[in-house]
Amino acid sequence: MKTGFRTCPVTSLRVHAQADALIKANAVAATVALLIGGVAAVLVLLTRWQVVHLLGAEMFYRMLTIHGMNMLIFFILFFEMAVLYFAGPVLLNCRVPAPRVGWVAFLLMVVGTLMVEWTMWTGRADVLFTSYVPLRAHPLFYLGVIIFAVGALVAVSLFFATLLVARNERTYRGSMPLVTFGGLTAAIIAVITLSHGAAIYIPTFLWSIGVMNVDAQVYRMVWWGLGHSSQQINVAAMVSVWYLLGTLTVGAVVLNEKVSRTAFVLYILFISMASAHHLLVDPGMGSAWKVWNTSYFMYMAVLASMLHGFTVPGGIELGMRVRGYTKGMFEWLRKAPWGDPGFSSLIFSIVVFGFVGGITGVTFGTEQINIIAHNTLRIPGHFHATVVSGTAMAFMGVTYYVIPLIFRKKIAFWPLAKIQPYLFAGGMLIFSISMTFAGTFGVPRRHWDITFSGAPFQVEFSPAVDLVMGVMAMGGLIAAVGGAIYILVTVWSVFFGEPMDLGEVVYVEIGPAPGADEPAPAAVG
Amino acid sequence: MHSGIESPGGIWWKPVHKSEKIWIGLAFAWCMVLFAMMPLWHWKGGQNPSGIRHRVEPDAFLARTNEFIATYQVGEDNGYPVVEPPPGADIYLAARMWNWSPVLRLKKGAQYTLHLSSLDVNHGFSLYPLNVNIQVVPGYDYGLRVTPSEAGDFRVVCNEFCGIGHHNMVGRVIVVDDAAPVVGRAVDGNGRGGER
Amino acid sequence: MWKSGLPPGLTNPPRPLSAEEREAEHLAGSSGRLGQVPGTLILVFVFFAAFVTYYFVNWKLLSFLWKIG
Repeated sequence: MKTGFRTCPVTSLRVHAQADALIKANAVAATVALLIGGVAAVLVLLTRWQVVHLLGAEMFYRMLTIHGMNMLIFFILFFEMAVLYFAGPVLLNCRVPAPRVGWVAFLLMVVGTLMVEWTMWTGRADVLFTSYVPLRAHPLFYLGVIIFAVGALVAVSLFFATLLVARNERTYRGSMPLVTFGGLTAAIIAVITLSHGAAIYIPTFLWSIGVMNVDAQVYRMVWWGLGHSSQQINVAAMVSVWYLLGTLTVGAVVLNEKVSRTAFVLYILFISMASAHHLLVDPGMGSAWKVWNTSYFMYMAVLASMLHGFTVPGGIELGMRVRGYTKGMFEWLRKAPWGDPGFSSLIFSIVVFGFVGGITGVTFGTEQINIIAHNTLRIPGHFHATVVSGTAMAFMGVTYYVIPLIFRKKIAFWPLAKIQPYLFAGGMLIFSISMTFAGTFGVPRRHWDITFSGAPFQVEFSPAVDLVMGVMAMGGLIAAVGGAIYILVTVWSVFFGEPMDLGEVVYVEIGPAPGADEPAPAAVG
Repeated sequence: MHSGIESPGGIWWKPVHKSEKIWIGLAFAWCMVLFAMMPLWHWKGGQNPSGIRHRVEPDAFLARTNEFIATYQVGEDNGYPVVEPPPGADIYLAARMWNWSPVLRLKKGAQYTLHLSSLDVNHGFSLYPLNVNIQVVPGYDYGLRVTPSEAGDFRVVCNEFCGIGHHNMVGRVIVVDDAAPVVGRAVDGNGRGGER
Repeated sequence: MWKSGLPPGLTNPPRPLSAEEREAEHLAGSSGRLGQVPGTLILVFVFFAAFVTYYFVNWKLLSFLWKIG
């Protein structure tokens, strides 16, 4: 196993060989999951677009399960592991302590993924991403998720260990950088999330082999403790990547560490309870429980997002103003590097996440407004604006820097790469807004046939619905092209791409890290 | 000034700039509004998912539904019993893979307690085209006090995945005006009746 | 279309800040009425207006429903 450090010629950070290796492995696994989930996405889209109605009912629900699990669990969590290896060991100039643990974690996650994929693709788990009891999947489905979650927990623990080692060995001076702090937030929420996951998947696994009972309402409550909290991991990781991309693309500065760090802490304190907003029209809980858990708690997390919504663009603006872009209100934005796919991804991620995702979600996360939104297409309209146009978009943007900095390859098909964020974000924006409209008309989510051709009573949606579903399909297909370009560009660059002219890269065992006696590492900007 | 990938030197707990304080204040006030709207709507608004809630065994709920049907049945529609309960009654709508039963005939302006439950897996009650959406969970009786505000021929679409017949699961709720005669109007096989 | 390339953040990185600029925490641009980052302040106000509008439109939509309680 290679150990030792190389010095990054761009950032002057000292990068441990195992940090490089673990980032690469997790990023590649994430991209494979993204590809599977993306193929499933197109098939699902072409079925919900009734004009095409590509798949039969059974395959549709199967592909929908495959799409959800691959995107929301495998792609995102593998990528987040890569983000943690960057935010920890790389940003802190630190070695990966006990790298074998990192590889065991990776292996567990891969094994879990393969088990779940097998059950889904062979039709043993047509239960959708939420797998609501009493819908029953093959026991290996639940066991696979448990093994994946254990792997993720191990990797998260390794991140915490890295923070302790970095402090002990004084590999950096002062407080950890903001991006690392954001990663720490994501990691803490991950522990909360994965604990809920264990609490629900272990009993459900036992139920699937006939050993115990699981109440349907209790399942929903505990599952959403996993399901919603996992989205908060995604938000914390996304915001950390926002700060990182701002730094790399335009030299963004931190407006106020106190505000940004407090906002991250609010995420940790107030997010688990807010999972209640998935249960607002459920029979098992009373209004007092719903109002309390959805509001006082969730709205502090909303406050946190609104804070980052100011500090992230503000940091970009100030970084640009300091460098001379002071004309008028918006020269800093007009003259920004829009041809840099890292920058365009960053801006689109912030704008679509905030304006479409955030606003729609908080609105129907209200106890009463939820009545007109629950399980309609408004729900996926919302979360495609948050986790896809927000988190996934930010992750795609940062990949354009990870490939040169970690994989040390140039970006292949560079002209395509430059337009990729525009296609993906533009397509997703149209897609999400159309879904939201359709849902307002009452179109259900998770539904194979909205002509209801097999139903005992006719249901006729307004003709506007057909139009809106067609526009949704167009937006989705444009986004799919953007996603396909991303996969093409990244896979080609990593495996067949032109190496950067950096000379031979050498890992050397280095003595004590730049500790208290040396200046903090010089960074970009 | 430093970037997000640099360690902030020294003490970073610094005062906040005035324009940022304005935004923080505004955002916080808005969050308080968001909270306050919910109790306010309970107090002043007409739509709340409070209901009368109980645990119930699926067998027991089925029995109650059948009793309800037997007491108030007035006809049949496409194989489903049509039931016309009096205003103020407890009415029962059972969800099962893959249908809603019975078909309900209600009066505009009258209040009923609509009991929703499932006999097997999760289902989603979605009253179209109004867009009233409620989760229907096996083992739980959700008794919502509803008052239809307009006459019409509504559909109950299932919007929670419940297996391979999920998309065929459609029920029906008819709401009549006071003026229309009450008992004995049969409907034809396509769900089209004589009243509107 | 087949050319490879690198993002401008690496080929033409943002100018490193001088020592004085790094020290000048809160002074840049704070003279204006809208503060250090006026453009951002305007953008978040637009966001806020959109939020308030969408939110109350939805309460109005809800009010058209049957009485439920």
